[in-house]
Amino acid sequence: MNDSKPLRWKALANDYGMVLVLLILIAAFSVLTLERQSSTGSDAGRVVARNIIAAHGTSGTVVVVAGLKPPDERFLREAKEALEAGGVTVAAIVGGKPADARRTIERVLLEGHSIDAIAATGDAAKWSIYDRFESVGSNKCVSAAPALWPTFAKSENVLNVANQTAIYAIIAIGMTMVIITAGIDLSVGSLVALAAVATAVFIRDVGEGTQTGTGLMIAGCCVGIGVCALAGIFNGAMITRLGIPPFITTLAMMLMARGLARRLSNELSIQALPASFTWIGGDTTFGIPNPVILMITLYGIAHIVMSRTVFGRYVYAVGGNAEAARLSGVPVKRVIVIVYTLCGALAGLGGIVQASKLGSGDPKLGLMFELDVIAAVVVGGTSLMGGEGRIFGTLIGAFIIAVIKNGMNLMKVGAPEQQIVLGAVVLLAVLVDTLKRRGTAL
Amino acid sequence: MSMDIQTRFAIVLMSALLIPGCADNSSNSGTTSGTAVTGDSDTAGGESKGLIGYTTMSLTNPFFKVIGDSMTEEAAKHGYEVIVVSGDDDVNKQSNQIDDFIVKGVSAIVLTPCDPRSIGQAIKKANDKGIPVFTNDTGYDGNEGEVECHIATDNLQGGRLAGEAMVKLLGEAGGTVLVVHKPDASSCLLRVRGFTEIVDAHNAKDGSGKIDVVATLDGKGSREAGYAVTKDAIVSNPDLSAIFAINDPSALGARSALEEAGKQDAVTIIGFDGEKAGKEAILKGTILCDPVQFPDQMGKTTIEMILKYFDGEDVPGEILIPSKLYYREDAEKDPTLQPEEGA
Repeated sequence: MNDSKPLRWKALANDYGMVLVLLILIAAFSVLTLERQSSTGSDAGRVVARNIIAAHGTSGTVVVVAGLKPPDERFLREAKEALEAGGVTVAAIVGGKPADARRTIERVLLEGHSIDAIAATGDAAKWSIYDRFESVGSNKCVSAAPALWPTFAKSENVLNVANQTAIYAIIAIGMTMVIITAGIDLSVGSLVALAAVATAVFIRDVGEGTQTGTGLMIAGCCVGIGVCALAGIFNGAMITRLGIPPFITTLAMMLMARGLARRLSNELSIQALPASFTWIGGDTTFGIPNPVILMITLYGIAHIVMSRTVFGRYVYAVGGNAEAARLSGVPVKRVIVIVYTLCGALAGLGGIVQASKLGSGDPKLGLMFELDVIAAVVVGGTSLMGGEGRIFGTLIGAFIIAVIKNGMNLMKVGAPEQQIVLGAVVLLAVLVDTLKRRGTAL
Repeated sequence: MSMDIQTRFAIVLMSALLIPGCADNSSNSGTTSGTAVTGDSDTAGGESKGLIGYTTMSLTNPFFKVIGDSMTEEAAKHGYEVIVVSGDDDVNKQSNQIDDFIVKGVSAIVLTPCDPRSIGQAIKKANDKGIPVFTNDTGYDGNEGEVECHIATDNLQGGRLAGEAMVKLLGEAGGTVLVVHKPDASSCLLRVRGFTEIVDAHNAKDGSGKIDVVATLDGKGSREAGYAVTKDAIVSNPDLSAIFAINDPSALGARSALEEAGKQDAVTIIGFDGEKAGKEAILKGTILCDPVQFPDQMGKTTIEMILKYFDGEDVPGEILIPSKLYYREDAEKDPTLQPEEGA
């Protein structure tokens, strides 16, 4: 009874440790990427208008300049409205490339206006076009002060991180199950390429290329996933029937699947895909990227399967002690085959998301994916010895790796240093696992 | 317990998604102090005029490293900062790097596509965010995205130079030639086309020896494959007089095959590229000459085009940098080869 308190703390650390690490990383990168963000959007438009009216009164003539970023349109509209409400003459507004702005200013000057000020977004103020005109000059350019804000925490970036993680995280569901059975699957990266190529070839040859309808496109995706599921069955069969270790079986599959993908595609990326094919990987629903929605849905399902179903309990039992599981009536071999099949199918799904994101079936896709996926599972607290691990732990693991990668990218850390850091993170995660085991063994 | 993790994670995810939501307001209301910033940002404490993101095919190839370095150097002169990252021959990685560039708010993106076709969606994404895209060395081959300007070596002209060097070498007496090709690369197709053009024109003239291209084989642009195809070719063409290889690695592979067969004095090699190993071979005399590319100039021109773009000028869709023939006497004067000599 005396032990109950420390045990509870330990359990808490086990369950929340990784979440805490993720939170600390998010906080750290938010502070580290605090940068001046270029001003644009409707508020910047109002500020610029106010400043111009303050400086030039209401008699001036102004040209409003912005680029092609989505909020630039709001900047133009808001600045024009506010300036005109203040009685300032807006000679022209232009949202476009620097050359467009240059032409507009030329036209305004040619029409006989004198320009008193240029209202610009932060980016447009940096263009060098204004000094081309003697009567304008860059000192007539007014823009709102850049605001300090962590680049890491921009909603755009948060969605990017989630989107870039989604493919790894989806594949990592299958990998978590495999690793819980004390196995490993090295073939997932190659299966990503195989699914992408098989789907693209099907759409090109069986469908009508870019004119393929939705039905055949879905059929193509099923073919891609199906081929990878078959590869998974093959892996499972080799392991259970012939007793070949998972490492070797899936290493062989990694080579064969990659070779098959290259053969099928003649080593060229396949482009003849309909524009709507990019929906699943490249589009958004209510502003959230579709791969992220797919990922969250799959994690919900996988969590229920692993924690609430008989199959889930079997998977843990097989990994904990296969012999004991067999003696207590668990169909060990069947469970292992199903787990590898699921892992293959999920890798195939990942491949389709990837192909859809890039709009092409490329035999070079998924290179080294297996390492990133295994790293996510291990960092997420699943033990390579089998029998232990949680689906949501893997999701956290995938996010920890993605956040570290993204944060380092934003901080301009070089690729070699990033590899060293990620290697250390994986090592640390395994070390924690080992220490935990030693702790329980004692 | 696992439910708790779920809730916790939901909170993390939600707060992560919510923070930027609030931020959009606060970041802009923060500007109410509204200090007008003049366009001349050099006066604002030497702050950079903007970032340029460059994602290259692979930084393990020194050629791209030179492009990146010269871009960084040239941009610095004009107050811009360049971020150089490597796509490591992986389109997915390169596409993610472009996402990161967009988030960082770069002023322009430069890329050497890892795959000339699969990169289209990523270019389109940058286009949608109003960021201009430039390519160098390898072009983008598709129509989803829009590239402002492509800067590359004039491979057709380079191929013609190789042809001229071959005519100079064999013109009087004529001879048989092996072409070590890489037909899946558009740049190499141009090189061989230029080469064949000159050789054909020479053969059409009367009074001099004919140059006969007896075989065109795929050396895959690599040392190994260049070696293998040359081995085969000298067996079936024992009287071979010269080889044109479309890059330095395959030229060096061809040289190894010749040395093994004891034919290194009978067969002369003309390469392409002028990368360090190739230049060293020219200095030693194992390769006769190369039409060389100028990666430093490619990087510099890329930055010049970006500056031109920001200066409101209309940028041409493509800029080709001519290559030059590089012989042993050039190698002897080449300062980049001297330190190795001493050591």
